[in-house]
Amino acid sequence: MTKKQEHQEKSILIKKDPALFSALAAVWISLAVFIFLPLLKLLWATFFINGSFSFANLEKILRKPYNVKAFWNSIILATSVSISGTFIGYFFALAVTRTTWPKILKWFLGAVSILPLISPPFTSSISLTLALGPNGMLLKAFGIKNLNFYGFWGTWFSETLTYFPVAFMVLTAILSTMDANLDDAALSLGASRGRMFRTVTIPLSMPGISNSLLLLFGSSLADFATPLILGGHTFPVLPTQAYLQITGMYDLRGGSSLSFLLLIPALLVYLFQRYLIGKKSYVSITGKSGARSEFARLPVALTIIVLVMTLFISIFILYLYFIILWGSFVAVWSVNNTFTLEHYAYVFGHGSKAITDTLKIAVVSTILGSILAVVIGYVVQRKKFPGKRILEFSSMLNYALPGTVVGIAYILAFNEKPILLTGTMTILVAAYVFRYYATGIRSVVASLQQIDPALEEASMSLGADTTRTFLHVTIPLIIPAVLAGMRYLFIHCMTAISATIFLVSVRWTLLTTRILESMTELQFSQASAFSIVLIVLVFIADSIMMALMKLTTRKFGTSQEQIYGNTGA
Amino acid sequence: MATQALELYQVTKVFKKDAELIKAVDSVNLIVSQGEMIVFLGPSGCGKTTTLRMIAGFELPSSGKIMIQGEDMTNVPVNKRGIGFVFQNYALFPHMSVYNNIGYGLKSRGEKDSEIKNKVQDALALVGLAGAGNRFPNQLSGGEQQRVALARVLVMEPKLLLMDEPLSNLDAKLRIYMRTEIRRIQKKLGITCLYVTHDQAEALTMADRIIVMNRGKVEQIGTSMDLYRNPQSLFVADFIGQANTITLPVDRVEDKTVTVKTSNGWSFSARAQQSEKINKAGNAVLVVRPEHIQLAPYRANDTSKLSGTVISSVFMGGHVEYRLELGEYGQLLAFIPFASGNSIFKEGERVLIEIDPESAIFLPA
Repeated sequence: MTKKQEHQEKSILIKKDPALFSALAAVWISLAVFIFLPLLKLLWATFFINGSFSFANLEKILRKPYNVKAFWNSIILATSVSISGTFIGYFFALAVTRTTWPKILKWFLGAVSILPLISPPFTSSISLTLALGPNGMLLKAFGIKNLNFYGFWGTWFSETLTYFPVAFMVLTAILSTMDANLDDAALSLGASRGRMFRTVTIPLSMPGISNSLLLLFGSSLADFATPLILGGHTFPVLPTQAYLQITGMYDLRGGSSLSFLLLIPALLVYLFQRYLIGKKSYVSITGKSGARSEFARLPVALTIIVLVMTLFISIFILYLYFIILWGSFVAVWSVNNTFTLEHYAYVFGHGSKAITDTLKIAVVSTILGSILAVVIGYVVQRKKFPGKRILEFSSMLNYALPGTVVGIAYILAFNEKPILLTGTMTILVAAYVFRYYATGIRSVVASLQQIDPALEEASMSLGADTTRTFLHVTIPLIIPAVLAGMRYLFIHCMTAISATIFLVSVRWTLLTTRILESMTELQFSQASAFSIVLIVLVFIADSIMMALMKLTTRKFGTSQEQIYGNTGA
Repeated sequence: MATQALELYQVTKVFKKDAELIKAVDSVNLIVSQGEMIVFLGPSGCGKTTTLRMIAGFELPSSGKIMIQGEDMTNVPVNKRGIGFVFQNYALFPHMSVYNNIGYGLKSRGEKDSEIKNKVQDALALVGLAGAGNRFPNQLSGGEQQRVALARVLVMEPKLLLMDEPLSNLDAKLRIYMRTEIRRIQKKLGITCLYVTHDQAEALTMADRIIVMNRGKVEQIGTSMDLYRNPQSLFVADFIGQANTITLPVDRVEDKTVTVKTSNGWSFSARAQQSEKINKAGNAVLVVRPEHIQLAPYRANDTSKLSGTVISSVFMGGHVEYRLELGEYGQLLAFIPFASGNSIFKEGERVLIEIDPESAIFLPA
C-alpha cells in the first residue's frame, strides 16, 4: 500500500465508520485529560523549576539518605513479597489442581484466599497489629515479650498474606489448563512422580510464575497502606515517603520527585509484563478434548508439605479475620474486653456519610468504568484503526502506576483552573475509573477473543447495522465478561486507598480513609468495626455480581467463567 | 439482455503481511446468471473464501468492481447488499432461540411480528425443522444447526446466497445428504448461489459451473464435465478427479493434435489444450485418468502399446488399483474394473498399457 492510500484510509475513517470515529475521539479525549495530563504535570513538577528544565528537585530528594533508603527498601520489599507470595500461591494452586483432596477442602482453600482480595488493604495490617503488635493477642498467648513487629518483617508478612491470592489465581489458571496427557506421557516414559513434577509441571508453569512475580512485585511496590501502618519510621518506603512529603510538609515538588522514583520501576515492570504476555505460549482451551485424562498426583512428600502449609495459612487468615470481628465488639482492645456495640453505633452514626459516599462513588465509578471498558475493549479487539496499540497501552497506564503516583499527579493536574476538580466527587470517580477499568478492558478483550467474529458478520449480513449488531449480538455475548470487570472495579472502588487518600475532602470521604484515621488515632476497635462493615458491603455486592454472572452464562451454556477467572488479576 | 445476478470485474484483494504485499485475490472476472449454482473450488489459501467475502461485503476489494443484479455494490456495506451468507461454523447466535435466530434479519428489517411468525414457520418447514423454534443452538446437532443457518438466510429472500464451506463440520454421511438437500432447496427457490468448498465431490455434485482457483487466480471456469474432460492446466487436471501426468517427448504437433514418441518406439496421439504453447522439439504432458487405462498381459516387441511393471496392486472391491513403473517416464496409476473370474496382475509382472486416446489430453510441459 502506498503512503497516499494509507493517508486516504485514515482520512475516511470519519466517513467510513462514524460510530468508531466518535468513540475513538471520546476515548482519546478522556485519556488525554485523565491519564496524560496528570502524568505530564507530574513530570513537569519534577523536572521544571520556573519553566526551565532542571534536576534540582531530584537531587534535593536524593541528597537525603532517608529517601535513598526508602527507594532501596521499596525494591527489597517488593522483591521479597513477590517471591514469598508466588511461592505460597503456587502451593495453593497445587492443592486445588493437583490433589485428590475432598471438594469441600478445596472450596475452603479457595474461599479463604478470596478474603484478602475483597478486603480493604489494611485488614491484615490491623489484625496483625492486634495479634503481634504491642499487647498482641498471640504474643500474650505464647508469653513472648518485646517482639518488634514493626518494620520490614511485619510489612513483608502482611503484604505476603494480602497478595498471595493474586499469585494463586494466576497459577491456578495455568496449572489447570496444562495438558494432563503430558503427565501421563512422562510417567509412561518411566519418570517418577517427583521427576515428572520437576521436569514437566514446573517448567510448564514458568510463564505463570513469572507473570505472578511481576504482578506481586508491582502490587507490593505500590502498596501504601501496609507500610504506613506496619513500616514504622525505621522502614520507610517510597509511597509512604511521598505521602508524608505532601501531607506532612506540604511539599508537592518533593512528593512528585519521590513518586517519579517510584514510577520508574513500576513502568519497567509493566513493560516487561507486556513483553512476556506478548510472546506468551498460549495454553489454549480447545474445547474438543477427547478422553480427558486426570492430572497425576504430586509426590507424597510434597503433598504433605502442601497440605500443612495451605491449611496453616488458611487457618491463620481466618484467625486474623476473627480478631478483627472480635476487636470490633470489645470496648478497648486488650484493655477492656467487655462486649459492646458502641463502635458499630459510631460507624453507622458518625461514619454514615463515609458509607454512603463510598457506595455512591463506587456505584458511579463501576457504571462509568465498565462502559468505558466495553468501548475500549471492543475497539481494541474488533476494529482496525491507526494508533491502536498506543491506545491500548496508554489506557492501562494508570493501572500500571502505583496509586500514590496517580494520586499526586491528580492533585497537580486538577488543583487549579481550567480543570478544577479537587474536593469534588468527579476527581475520586475519575481516579477509580481510569485505574481499575483495566480489569474490565482485559476481560472484555479476552471474552471477545473467544467469540467468533462470524457472529457479528452474520448479523450484518442479515441486514442489521453496526449499532444493532453491537447491542443485540455483541453485548449479550460479552455480558458475563463485563460483569466480571464490574465486579473487580466495584471491589477496588470500595477498598482502594493509595490514590484517593490524596483526593478525599470534607465534602467527599471514604470508608478506607476513615479506617486509616481510626488506626492513626489508635482506635483499633473502631477501625475494626469500619473494616467489618466494609467487608460485609463488598461481600454482598460481590455475591450479587457473582449471581448475575452465573445467570448470564447459564443461558447459553458456555463454560466461559474459567476465562474470566484468569483475567481477574 | 436480462440483468445478471452477479458480475465481478478485475476484482483484486491485496493484504499487507509483515510489510509484504500479498495478492490474495488477483483480477477475478465472473458473470453469474440468475438461478445459477456456482461452486468455488480450490486448496486452502487459494483466495476462494476472500472472493466470497468480498462479494458479501465483509471485505472491500483493493481494486475492481462488484455488481449485484446490475447495481454497483463495490463499496456498499454488508447490511445494505441484500445477500445471505452461510458460515462454515454456522455462526448461530448462541443467546437466541432458533425462532429468534431465524427472525433476526426480518426484525432488523422492521417487519411486523405476525409476518415474521409466518415466514419463520415456513422457513423451518422448508429445511425440515418444523416445531424446533423454541430450542437453543446448543441443543441442536451439527446437521440441525446447519439447517437453521440456512433457514435464517433463506427467510430473507436474498438476491444471492453465499455459502462458505458450510458442510465441512459435518460427518461424511450427513455431508452427502446435506449437499443434495441444499441443491434441492436452491433449485426449488431458483436462488442464485455461490458456494465455496475444497471438496471436489461436493463441487461435482452441486455445481452448474465450477470455478477452480489457485493462488488468488481463476484457473478455469466450466461445467464439471468440461473441467474433467478438458482441463486447461495441470492444476485443474489434478484437482478435479485423479489424473496421471506423464512428461513425454513430442514427435509432432498438427493443429490441435499432439503426437509423442517414447525412446523405445511407442507413439501416441491425442487432443491438446493450448497446443500453440507446446514446444515441437520439447516435451508435452500427457494427462490421463486412472479409469481410462486398460491393462493387457505383456507381449514382447509390441511397440503399439506402452509397457510397464506392476509395483503394487490393491483390490478395492469394484476395481483394482494398480501402480505401474514406466522407467524413465515415471509412474502411472490405473483403476481396472473388477469382475469375478478376472485375474489380477501381480507385483513385478510386466504389462501392456492401453490408453484411450479420446479421454487423454496433452498440456504444455
